[in-house]
Amino acid sequence: MKLDPSRGPIYLQLAQEITRWIARGDLLPGDRLPPVRELAKRFRVNPNTVVQVYGELERQGITHTQRGRGTFVREDVEVAALRRALLQEAAASFLEEARALGLTLEEAMAALQEVVHARPTEGDR
Amino acid sequence: MLAQLRGIVKTYGAVEALRGVDLELRPGEIVGLLGPNGSGKTTLLKVIAGLLLPDRGGVTVLGGSPRRCRGAVAYLPELPYLPGWMRTAQVETLFRRIFPGFRVDSFRELIGVLRVPDRPVRGLSKGERGRLELAAILALNAKLYLLDEPLGGLDPVSRDRILQSVIAAWHKEAGFVIATHLVAEAEPLFDRVVFLREGKVVLDAPAEELREKGKSVRDVYLEVFGDVGLPVA
Repeated sequence: MKLDPSRGPIYLQLAQEITRWIARGDLLPGDRLPPVRELAKRFRVNPNTVVQVYGELERQGITHTQRGRGTFVREDVEVAALRRALLQEAAASFLEEARALGLTLEEAMAALQEVVHARPTEGDR
Repeated sequence: MLAQLRGIVKTYGAVEALRGVDLELRPGEIVGLLGPNGSGKTTLLKVIAGLLLPDRGGVTVLGGSPRRCRGAVAYLPELPYLPGWMRTAQVETLFRRIFPGFRVDSFRELIGVLRVPDRPVRGLSKGERGRLELAAILALNAKLYLLDEPLGGLDPVSRDRILQSVIAAWHKEAGFVIATHLVAEAEPLFDRVVFLREGKVVLDAPAEELREKGKSVRDVYLEVFGDVGLPVA
């Protein structure tokens, strides 16, 4: 993942990336998130920004912080809902692009079908 | 508050390097001091470091005059400062002797992060030399770190390791000021950016606040300095 500073605040981009880790199963409910400095080093961002990222994830009910122990993915996090939300976001930008090109919903769906048929293994997963 | 500057004016003969600069530096903050060559960045850092006296205006660093707290301010000059015969171990010895709070553990860790080979300075590449000089400065037990163009003229790998080393050295009680014209690369590191143009602060804002409005620091930099026509990486 590469941060793009012209696409809005970095803390939101990073919060979304961590949500993606959970949605993909790279981080499981109950897992500890990397310490602030480690994540800051990995993405070459300001450590205060990472503190803000963890605050945002907590606000969204995805993580909780235990004083002195670190930040953890909540046990009751709904991974399926996170997955759906991320996919809906991708779908929205797909639809937006189709509309910008002046295509109908049917044409957009047809294009999606074509991609699925062209790449069957990925489509089946 | 780590440092407070009010109405700083500094002239060299007929050249006005600083024309009334106000600036505040707070603990835990990494500030990007940005502007093209000749905008006054080096002069400003030297005033904060107590190496230059301003003609007018007030400077307070750690509650006193900058000259009295030089031990608590670490300053990386833009130009090489280590003699050619020194090796890593000798830099360590020298710094331990001069600076009582020099943190040997952190120096060794930074040498690792920055991958500085153990050779005399004269046998190092420009990037390796710059990294060694930075490691020594970051290992000082300071409250304020002033880094003048730590990325300038170095290869992309060196620049990337330098960004990582600043994060490794960062802590809540210390403030960092990084003067650079390599805006795009360093911008995710900054809490706040201060744009200096012809000796004046033309913008002082949290970096995320600019991005909140849909513009990267680099975008804003190009708007402000686009007419100056100097390179942005």
